[in-house]
Amino acid sequence: MTVDATTTTRSTRNDVWRRFRRNHLGVVGALIVMVLVIAAIFAPLLAPKDPAEQDLRARRTAPNAEYVLGADEFGRDILSRLIYGARASLTVAVSSVAIGLLLGSLLGSLAGYVGGWLDGLIMRLMDLFLAFPYLLLAIIIVSALGAGTFNTILAIAVWTIPAFARVARSAVLQIKERDFVTAALSLGAKEARIMGVHLLPNFAATLVVYASLYLAYAILMESALSFLGLGVQPPTASWAGMIASGRNYVTSAPHIATIPGIAIALAVLGFNLLGDGLRDALDPRSGKR
Amino acid sequence: MTAYLIRRILATIPLALGVVLVVTISFDLIPGDPAALMLGEFATPEAVAELRTSLGLDASLPVRYVNYVIDITQGDLGLSLRERRPVTDILVETFPYTFQLAFAAITLVLLVGLPLGLLAASRPGSWIDNVIRVTSLAGLSMPVFWTGIVFMVIFSVNLRWLPVSGTGTWRHLILPAVTLALPSIAVIARMTRSTVLEVLQEDFVRTARAKGVANRSLLYKHTLRNALIPVVTVLGLQLGQMLGGAVLTETVFAWPGVGRLTVFAIFNRDFVLMQGLVLVLAMLYVFVNLLVDLSYGLIDPRVRYQ
Amino acid sequence: MKTRFIPVLALVLALVMGAAFAQKTLTIVRPSDPVALDPQLETTAPGSWVYTQILEPLVSVNQDMEVVPRLATSWEFIDATRLRFTLREGVTFHDGTPFNADAVKYTWDRATNNDPPGRWRSLASAVEGVEVVDEYTVDMVAKAEFGPLLLTAAMPFTGIVSPAAVEALGSDAFTRAPVGTGPFKFVEWRANDRIILEANDDYWRGRPALDQVIFRTVPEEGARMLSLRTGEADMVLLPTPSDLPELEANPDFIVEGAPGVGIFYLAFNLDRPSVADVRVRQAVAHAIDRQLIVDAILEGGGVLAKSVIGEPVFGFKDMQLLERYPYDPERAVELLEEAGYTRGSDGFMRDADGNVLTLDALPSNGRSLKDREIAETLQEFLRQVGIAMNLDFFEWATTFTLMRGETLEYDLNSFTWFTTTADADYTMYSNYVSTELPPSSWNRWRYANADVDEWLKAARASLDPAERAELYGKVQDQLAVDLPAIPLYGSYEVAVLSADVTGFVAHPIQYILDLFPVDKE
Repeated sequence: MTVDATTTTRSTRNDVWRRFRRNHLGVVGALIVMVLVIAAIFAPLLAPKDPAEQDLRARRTAPNAEYVLGADEFGRDILSRLIYGARASLTVAVSSVAIGLLLGSLLGSLAGYVGGWLDGLIMRLMDLFLAFPYLLLAIIIVSALGAGTFNTILAIAVWTIPAFARVARSAVLQIKERDFVTAALSLGAKEARIMGVHLLPNFAATLVVYASLYLAYAILMESALSFLGLGVQPPTASWAGMIASGRNYVTSAPHIATIPGIAIALAVLGFNLLGDGLRDALDPRSGKR
Repeated sequence: MTAYLIRRILATIPLALGVVLVVTISFDLIPGDPAALMLGEFATPEAVAELRTSLGLDASLPVRYVNYVIDITQGDLGLSLRERRPVTDILVETFPYTFQLAFAAITLVLLVGLPLGLLAASRPGSWIDNVIRVTSLAGLSMPVFWTGIVFMVIFSVNLRWLPVSGTGTWRHLILPAVTLALPSIAVIARMTRSTVLEVLQEDFVRTARAKGVANRSLLYKHTLRNALIPVVTVLGLQLGQMLGGAVLTETVFAWPGVGRLTVFAIFNRDFVLMQGLVLVLAMLYVFVNLLVDLSYGLIDPRVRYQ
Repeated sequence: MKTRFIPVLALVLALVMGAAFAQKTLTIVRPSDPVALDPQLETTAPGSWVYTQILEPLVSVNQDMEVVPRLATSWEFIDATRLRFTLREGVTFHDGTPFNADAVKYTWDRATNNDPPGRWRSLASAVEGVEVVDEYTVDMVAKAEFGPLLLTAAMPFTGIVSPAAVEALGSDAFTRAPVGTGPFKFVEWRANDRIILEANDDYWRGRPALDQVIFRTVPEEGARMLSLRTGEADMVLLPTPSDLPELEANPDFIVEGAPGVGIFYLAFNLDRPSVADVRVRQAVAHAIDRQLIVDAILEGGGVLAKSVIGEPVFGFKDMQLLERYPYDPERAVELLEEAGYTRGSDGFMRDADGNVLTLDALPSNGRSLKDREIAETLQEFLRQVGIAMNLDFFEWATTFTLMRGETLEYDLNSFTWFTTTADADYTMYSNYVSTELPPSSWNRWRYANADVDEWLKAARASLDPAERAELYGKVQDQLAVDLPAIPLYGSYEVAVLSADVTGFVAHPIQYILDLFPVDKE
């Protein structure tokens, strides 16, 4: 009873796509994410105005014909900043989570699979990171390296590594115990085969869920750094920065902070719906129906 | 069990040494001299140098580290550079506020997040499931400093139900606790939903179902027990973060807790205070984790501690 | 027994409750908690607002910028190095011990001995110390001839401490529970939450009208303004400027402000080749619409700066900056072209080698009103005339360290400088004498002009106000030509009060909050 690895993978891939399309919320999520990515890539073509151009006389203008979503405290066009902000915010969120996911799951699965002293070492190191107040770590990184988009990404990525490592490790441990893996092992399957065929797809489902959740965290972290004045730096527009600087006008011009807030909510929603959809499609055993 | 506890407690020692080492090193890496900050605008370089010596900042990194570790073993967390009083006093003053806020928030998370997750899982794919999933994401995506201010405008200014900020009565605690809890409620609701659904697919549940166990008791007995373990794990992480990093909530609501103290310490380069803070926070982290691990045994009697 | 006890109890209760009802408490909200309540360790406004209620100096400056007696009744200059004070008799500290010449000497010794090591000593570095003449007479002695000696003694940080209390508590513990002679006594400090003071019944000017003053720390600007609207606070310090017009029109609130002694400026680093050419500096001045910044960003939270020192400061002279450097982007472009730059198709100015004229800036960040916003606006103003401006925002500790470095790797920096003594010497000497270089002093622009050096040294040594004013006037005229810094706005010390608070007058010196005459109806 040997299974051909290639055919399994191919058929899985088709199944995944079929299952994903059936999931309406997942498709909605994919659409939202697509819109954001398009906005980010084609920002210069889509934005009606220069996002950095100030008109102090038009400051805090409510939405009108000229400023479709209003103007901010410098009289900059909020719509244009929102579109350009998609760039900075998506870059920060996606790259920091990608770095965290890559390094974290590598470390975690290594720890989980190899076990023993290596497991102990890696996980104690992760504990060290987790035990450290998270904003403190970010502030130290930004203070040492200076504020800016790249260092913001780094500060957030470092913080996400231990979470991914933990998730990856526990997923690996759990899967190792599962009946089908035990069965495969007892049937004499090679370790590498087990990793590729059984562990990865299962493991990916969990990670996708976590990654989509951590995108939200990454955006929250960026907003926390912006709140302290250490996030993405002007004149670059980022959603979190827009909220942080607009929050003082909550009574006089609430649209300045509310509009980027809605953008963040939509982005998080999109990524999570997409993540859920992918998870359900990747791992038919889990989730709905 | 006792041996397990002792081993766990002993395991905190390297962690404590590690976090303190990170702080000690990091203050060598980041620019900003605490002595120059203390002495202000007109301090002469000589005065700054003199103060550095008297504060013990001149010593090399290993010496400072070893001295500090020796002090800790004697229960001395040192004198805050900026406030010139024992770090222990500052921590004893500050931590109660953080505990109040964190426990109020985590209680809310349990009382709201868990039921929402179960509700969503009980009818997967239904409109109520979708509503819970979408609103919980909205809660997760709003920066707390923004939700905090919006809550203030609504509940303090317009409705006049609750005070804007500060401490004093239980009413002062409500808005910050809700604001802090909101993202965690979302996380727990999502976690609960997905783990419950996952467990429902497990073989043993299907077997039980096939054997005709009544639906209600099945959900509670088998599913919840198995689903709670990852939920409790995440809950522990959330509590850990609330204890250490509620900076934004504390800032917005003028809550005199550990988060603001942390920012004060780093912005003033008061690394003695910082060392004490991360030390205590690391201990708390270990303690919370220990509680989480012990709770596994309560949830699932099959779990054994060795 | 029982029948007698109840009426007595009722009487006691009535008295206690009556007292409780009559309590007049003023709650003040401001952004940050002090580090200490002792000028020795804390010379920023959040601290001095509190301890100036508790600790009184010998003399102080009133809202009209006149020196008025406090713990000294009169003073006379023996010569330009020695100032004699006659002290007020019959004053006691809050702990009951008497105020006398020994207490004055004790206070100054504490500062000069650096115990605890603090900031004040450096602010009064020209002072050698205090000598006791008799029980109620002291001499303040300067290290060299020092014209601003009286205003130095009047700094809000020179409040006299109770020697007995310092000895009893220890110097470090005293910094958190100060004992002085002022109108209010220290009661309690809950860190990062509130500081509570109560009226000093035995105050020598009479008991203050308020029974209690509570300083609350509310870091979030929005929350401070909201707590005024809900009645949780009676007074907001450092209010949100954009809210001021509406609050002023609202009969429930009073907006009380005074032009201050602080100037926020954009400073050049003359060591850097990019801004060494005065035409480039002039172009920058022409490129910035300073009036618009004051109107649109500060919105009443600041006033247009007329000089490198504030208008209430002794020695101020209008530098005629609006006339000399009106907002004129075209003129700015011309000046840059004269300086050898050509404008490229992308709008940026390039030198002969094709490098874009780029200025690296170290802006003040979260330290002065709207500093971050102004930096962003300056960046945009300069872009309009083809100058690229890089902003490096750091938190204060890093910015401060970089600013004070022996070399400064930035072309521009921004900062608010307060002339704390309200005497031009305080700012001008440390900022513009060519030898007063960082890290020990504040000539961050690396400005060197032999005439200016001479004038400033002469003004420092003189006791003749007319002569000093004339010298400072010449310096300001020269600075308007050399333009090492562009003053952007002057501080405006503003508080918003609920309408039932009476008697409060804003003080031009940010560190002074005069609560003695304040009452609440």
